[in-house]
Amino acid sequence: MTAAAATPGASSVSRSQRDAYRDDGPLARGLGRAFGPVSPLPAAALTLLSPLPSIALLALEGDAVSEVALGAAVAWSVLAGGVANGRPDWGRFGWVVPPLLRLLEYGTLLALAVVAGPPAVSHCFALVGALAFHHYDSVYRLRHQGSPPPAWLSIAGGGWDGRLVVAYVLLVTGALSTGLLAGAIVLGIVYVAESAVSWLRFGQAQRPALYDDEEDEDD
Amino acid sequence: MLATVPAEDGGPAAALPWEGSSLLRRLLRQLEDLEILQVSVVTRPGWERVLEPAVAGLGPGVRLQASPGVSEDLRTVAEIARDATGPIVVVHGEIVTHREALAGLLVGPKMVTGVLSRHGGVPAHLAPRTRSTSGRVMSASSPYHATGRPNTSLLGVLKVGERDRPALVEVAERLASLVEPPLPPRWEEELQRKLSRWRTSLADDGAGHGDGNGSAKRSGERDGGHALMQAGELAEAPEPDEPEDATADLVLSPEGEAEAAQRLTILREDAVSLLLVGLVRADVHVANSFLRALFWSRPQSRAAAQDTAHQMEGYDEDSVLLDSAVKASDGFFTTFFVSPYSRYIARWAARRGLTPNQVTTVSMAIGVLAAAAFATGSRPGLVAGAVLLQAAFTADCVDGQLARYTRTFSKLGAWLDSIFDRAKEYVVFAGLAIGASRGFGDDVWALAVTAMTLQTARHMADFAFGATQQHVVASEARPPVEEPGDGVALRRAVPPALSTSPPDAGGGAGPASVADRTGPPSPPLVAAEPAADVPAKPAPPLARRIVGGTARRAIAVSRALERWRPTHWLKKILVFPIGERFAVISLAAALTTPRTTFVVVLAWGAFATLYTLAGRSIRSLSG
Repeated sequence: MTAAAATPGASSVSRSQRDAYRDDGPLARGLGRAFGPVSPLPAAALTLLSPLPSIALLALEGDAVSEVALGAAVAWSVLAGGVANGRPDWGRFGWVVPPLLRLLEYGTLLALAVVAGPPAVSHCFALVGALAFHHYDSVYRLRHQGSPPPAWLSIAGGGWDGRLVVAYVLLVTGALSTGLLAGAIVLGIVYVAESAVSWLRFGQAQRPALYDDEEDEDD
Repeated sequence: MLATVPAEDGGPAAALPWEGSSLLRRLLRQLEDLEILQVSVVTRPGWERVLEPAVAGLGPGVRLQASPGVSEDLRTVAEIARDATGPIVVVHGEIVTHREALAGLLVGPKMVTGVLSRHGGVPAHLAPRTRSTSGRVMSASSPYHATGRPNTSLLGVLKVGERDRPALVEVAERLASLVEPPLPPRWEEELQRKLSRWRTSLADDGAGHGDGNGSAKRSGERDGGHALMQAGELAEAPEPDEPEDATADLVLSPEGEAEAAQRLTILREDAVSLLLVGLVRADVHVANSFLRALFWSRPQSRAAAQDTAHQMEGYDEDSVLLDSAVKASDGFFTTFFVSPYSRYIARWAARRGLTPNQVTTVSMAIGVLAAAAFATGSRPGLVAGAVLLQAAFTADCVDGQLARYTRTFSKLGAWLDSIFDRAKEYVVFAGLAIGASRGFGDDVWALAVTAMTLQTARHMADFAFGATQQHVVASEARPPVEEPGDGVALRRAVPPALSTSPPDAGGGAGPASVADRTGPPSPPLVAAEPAADVPAKPAPPLARRIVGGTARRAIAVSRALERWRPTHWLKKILVFPIGERFAVISLAAALTTPRTTFVVVLAWGAFATLYTLAGRSIRSLSG
């Protein structure tokens, strides 16, 4: 490791690690490639801005919010969060990005489900549960296997961006409740099965743990 | 194995008597027990005869060979490493410790390359200081190398895994030629700096004994360089703060002079620490295997060896092991309400031959039962769920303790444990939400999703922040092995461009040693020397410096609070770790409604989020 890498601000976590933490779909990646380089704001600020319109809208209108306004807010979230993907630096505050993306995705799904009505909310719990499994699995596999889930999985899963767009379309077409449940079942099976297969394939490769279990096991 | 250090009586310290044989034989037996059968005992010419009895009858793999000095010791290591298959262990022959302390480092897949170490200080000539972050050795000291801001010590055992064997060969050969006279620039100065530091502390002590810091544990040193480590002893032993030049014309008592001279000899012979410095500087990932509550000593006299034997007699190795199986970093509830009895369940499980993964699976099953009980929505169901959840949590603590106690770590096991922890919590949320609608006619699904979202986001923040810290750690500049200082002082105080400059441009023992003493150095002090042939960089803007300074002060206050027990535990409780979360869920669900349970979990979780967010923002600003 060269001394130059220690320059403050340039402390960038590896690309694969960042991708695993972010869980971007094709849409966010495309937005990041297109607009990331010209964005004046760092990733943390962009991600922080991304849910603001949705929050403001729900605070003001509650579940009487108009679908068009909600659509615009979701579109903004995907745009801002996606552009953040293309920012080259992780930065000093880069660590706020992954939790903000989870808050953005799970929070928006919950908001859409609340707007759709009660049965959708319990289905939303199921979908968020499946997604949470995938997001924890990505981190834990990076930690214990030394490599993140394969790239095809993030495309198959649609990424947080893809899922938000699909959820909004389902809300507009009135199929959100069913869609959330179907998504929970399909994604749950795919994520769990892929992870199980990866563990079956995982040998006793001599790789250093990214983290020392002893020191910072999460709780 | 290096039997190269002279004891007080002039013979090798490794030959000191131990229960009818010698320290060396005791250690060789332990290694044999751990299935390390190829051992080269390297000693000084003339000592072979003294050590003969120690190696006699130990199998064909144990050889005795003489080497005239440290340089040749290192060449021997390089030779052995070149021809070996499998891991290499380099260890001082007079080390006395429990088999399990060695096993933790030498056996098991978890540790590729690592050292036996402990937190805090030990007399530095016996256990050179190191600095570790997140379990990895970031900087090490040797006779000729200094470590800024040390927090750990090397306990004389180094294991190099197959992966890093080529690096070991290279490092050992490089060091072998470096330690031959003439030494690289400033190496001798660094050694003299250490010596003058000891002389100062010996002089302060008046009688010329001990370390002068008033610690009772250090009294063992009076017997001629002998360190004891006892259960629960975690006190830092800071280096004395005296300015260096004050030691120049010190007059010591004859005993003090003898003590200083012996320390110097012991340190000069320390090839293990040199190898560690070489590996760390070569960017090899060296992990710490901590001694925990086990015993370690490196006697240098007959009296010290006797004292060690006496100390070890009082040790119930199994109970110490069991204590060591408890994770040191657990939260308040886990530490005081679960671990005190879960460790005995772990021992019971070990005797029944249960594996950690079986216990993990049982824990998950109990968690699902708890969720099912919550889902009934009746009061008895909620109470039963609360009890079951606590049972599941106990089992969850048992699996980790069982793994540490029996040293059966697996990567799959670690993954399973983490995933099932999360799954249990979220399944219980679902159970509570179902119970709310069935028993209370209350729809709390939105609260359940919110609670899951908040907890997941909090974990993701932990992971991402941890990754950032890991990265900062991994990209820390490592000066070449010719450089005595580790560059820590430079990195903090002077613009980073400096650390890329050749070693001669600045740095070295001078500034590093200043930082050793003063903590975060003030820029003018450090800049004075190294800035000479480096173009001056503009100072950061005032506002930035004020923010950084305030943040650093806040961190200092936070560290101070960490040291005081009540605030240490208060901080741990505030961040709402898993033990506290499960306890709150059980209590609130048993006594109140699912809705109230979610509200309490969310309120505490939100507070904990703000608290950790504030702390981490301050840390990010100070960096």
